[in-house]
Amino acid sequence: MNRTLGGRLRLALFLGGVGLHRLAAYRLDFLLGSGAFLVRVGLQTVTVGVVFSHVPAVAGWSYHQVLFLLGCALLPRGLDHLFTDQLWELSRKLIQRGEFYRYLIRPVNPLFALLSERFFHPDGIGELLVGLVLVLWSGAELGLDPTALQWALAPLLVVAGALIHFSVKLFFASLSFWTVTSMPALQTVTQVSEFAGYPLDLYHASLRTLLTWVLPFAFTSYAPAVYLLHDDTGLLRWLPAVTGLSLLAALALWRRGLSRYEMTGS
Amino acid sequence: MIVAEGLTKDFRIAERRPGLLGSLSTLLTREYRTVHAVDGISFALRAGSKTAYIGANGAGKSTTIKMLTGIMTPTSGRCLVNGVEPYRHRRENARAIGVVFGQRSQLWWDLSVPDSFRILRRIYAIPDAVYERNLALYRELLDIDALGTTPVRQLSLGQRMRAEIAASLLHDPKVVFWDEPTIGLDMVLKEAVRELVNRANAELGTTVLLTSHDLSDIAAICDDALVVDGGRVVHEGTLTELLGRADRRSVVFDHRGGPGPLDAARGVEAGLPGATATVTPEGRIRVDYPAASLTSRQVLGFLLDRFELTDCYAPEPDLETVLRQIYRGGVPAARNGGGA
Amino acid sequence: MRRPDLRPGGYLPFATSGLQSLLQYRSTFLITGITAAAGAAVTVFLWRAVYADGSGPGPGGFTPASITTYLVVAQVLAVVHTNRVDDEVAAEVYRGDIAVTLVRPLSYPLVRFAACLPVIGANAVLVGVPLLVLFAALVPLTAPRPVDVLLFLPSAALSVLIAFCVNLLTGMAGFVTTNTWGVRMAKQGVVAFFAGQMVPLALLPGPLHALAMVLPFRAMADGPLTLLLGRYEGTAGAAAVLGHQLAWGAGLVLLCAALWRAAVSRLEVLGG
Repeated sequence: MNRTLGGRLRLALFLGGVGLHRLAAYRLDFLLGSGAFLVRVGLQTVTVGVVFSHVPAVAGWSYHQVLFLLGCALLPRGLDHLFTDQLWELSRKLIQRGEFYRYLIRPVNPLFALLSERFFHPDGIGELLVGLVLVLWSGAELGLDPTALQWALAPLLVVAGALIHFSVKLFFASLSFWTVTSMPALQTVTQVSEFAGYPLDLYHASLRTLLTWVLPFAFTSYAPAVYLLHDDTGLLRWLPAVTGLSLLAALALWRRGLSRYEMTGS
Repeated sequence: MIVAEGLTKDFRIAERRPGLLGSLSTLLTREYRTVHAVDGISFALRAGSKTAYIGANGAGKSTTIKMLTGIMTPTSGRCLVNGVEPYRHRRENARAIGVVFGQRSQLWWDLSVPDSFRILRRIYAIPDAVYERNLALYRELLDIDALGTTPVRQLSLGQRMRAEIAASLLHDPKVVFWDEPTIGLDMVLKEAVRELVNRANAELGTTVLLTSHDLSDIAAICDDALVVDGGRVVHEGTLTELLGRADRRSVVFDHRGGPGPLDAARGVEAGLPGATATVTPEGRIRVDYPAASLTSRQVLGFLLDRFELTDCYAPEPDLETVLRQIYRGGVPAARNGGGA
Repeated sequence: MRRPDLRPGGYLPFATSGLQSLLQYRSTFLITGITAAAGAAVTVFLWRAVYADGSGPGPGGFTPASITTYLVVAQVLAVVHTNRVDDEVAAEVYRGDIAVTLVRPLSYPLVRFAACLPVIGANAVLVGVPLLVLFAALVPLTAPRPVDVLLFLPSAALSVLIAFCVNLLTGMAGFVTTNTWGVRMAKQGVVAFFAGQMVPLALLPGPLHALAMVLPFRAMADGPLTLLLGRYEGTAGAAAVLGHQLAWGAGLVLLCAALWRAAVSRLEVLGG
């Protein structure tokens, strides 16, 4: 039953159900996890508020526009966080402690088996909630009136952004097949992704290039935000290619890592 | 059911030199050393057999099991499990096997045991009847319900091992690979685990390959033994045959009248050159003699002649003794026919 | 309860072994440095944009140079405060290893303090200083007056003590919950905000500013920075900053001692 796409989807849904069930069972853990991220992104929002209590615009962006961008950044990050958090464990300890083998003894795709362990991770819910509130509220304040096309594309943009986050994470987590642990690298990349929470126009050109073409976090927030705010598709045109290439690069490295693991067993 | 043909696994290990200069020089020029973890071993285990996979630490047991379970690809040679090469058709192989790797968990770390089982039921598409039957069995033998809804990461080793064992059998696999399955289990649970796998073998014909440091596990479960030493097979056959390869035999006896136990023992050693005689805590006399220079007939004849025996028996050579002798190189590498 | 040995000599081995284990992972310094530089860059870019077109002092009396100095040094202090006490204590509590440490005739919080001192020193020298040099090369910073530097140093030392206590308390959350990861994430966010790493506290609006002034986290960055940048009124102003730090330092030490005692006696009753 797992060979067909439908079978896999059913299994994924089932795992989601188990994840939800877990939320109910360990309420304190859940509240602490998603609450912590709620606090963090909440304070980030407050920071933006403080900035704009002193100036009307920053780098040509108004208060509500920056909040809208922040919301756009949080949605894909939260979505990715919800499903792929186990990649942190891969980078941290699964190779180091020899626990990775367990994904190879199941009759399902090893990547799927890996992610299944933290499917529906509650920590992402805080980010998703704040992101949703920010996008809706600041969108309303800005009097945003999206076209039918923008409405249709919006969810796809969130999914594409989540896929980019997932790709970057998978790429750097897969390095652990060679380096045993790659947690520090993943931490650094995550810190870099924080840049995507503010307008790219704030940054030096070299940093903009880095965020657009090397670690393409600009496509998770800035590109969708300028499209939805100003109908600016300059960067957005590249989104499908960037998403596809990121995924391909990450999956290729993952596969190479996997076959290396089969060779060396460590 | 399980076949290995010239199965070989080499590892390349980077040589490190000690000290700061050493680590600097390793940066520039890496030197590698090749280690033959498994050195061209061949064996064939028939369906429904229960085989102990025996070898000293570093004999390549884990590496072989990793290849048989599809986690690792061999350097050369091949193996077949249930007719497929595991590392080439990993998912197909995974359906047919159940695995326990002692200390390393294969359960869903953040979930409870019942949740893990529900996921396994889906992943393996276990029919309802099978699932319910097995769960009932685990309730009876492993008291699996007592694990409750605690996440696996918070279980004790013994609790977790019960879940691991159950998980490895849940989908009625054709073959189970158990690597140190009874770590952290008390006597009662060890007993239950043995019964569980013996039942699966008797009722479903499950093939079993087991490694264990606990030789009583091996004695209680396995009929066959596969002994590897230095990356090579030194015995493939029944456990009984393995025990028969011991180079020393023993006789324990009790007698009436005549000399006291200590004098009797001295008398035995004097009359049977090469034999050693000791007094057991029960006051009996144990005679150990080399099978090469003394026959049982000689020994028993001597004892009957000298003592008025009230009790006499010949204990089987125990596994530990035989294995110690094999690891020392006492038994030449030879292949017995049986088993395949 | 036993009286633990309080002579400093007993804690020296922990200090040196802490440094040894840290030096084995030289790459962690690099990573900490990159992460801190990226973190500082986000806030520096943001706030420099706010002060971009002002000629004189902007909001809160900051100039582009002084606000940059504030944010960069705040990040340097944050690096110095990353003493790994929170995750290590949480891990030991979680694994139950804490019971073993009680067997030793030493005070566990003091062992932890001794072990983190060299970590702090190494972070300061190997990450903090390069970070400061890097930003000084890229953006104009304010050169502080010598007297302010003299005031800053004891203030920074106090901030280290306060950061240790905050991290110890965070680690001890492991006694109450298994999700210490969440607790640590929340703590990091709250500390970064209320210490002044994200927003100079002087720029916070009324009630938020009042809250930040009362909380202990101010003593971790904003306090020392107020002194470094000379943003105080006379001797009394400087004394007030140091007084706030001293009061919270003493308060947190007492709180740690009391909570540790309670946790240990609970541990002794429940057997870990």
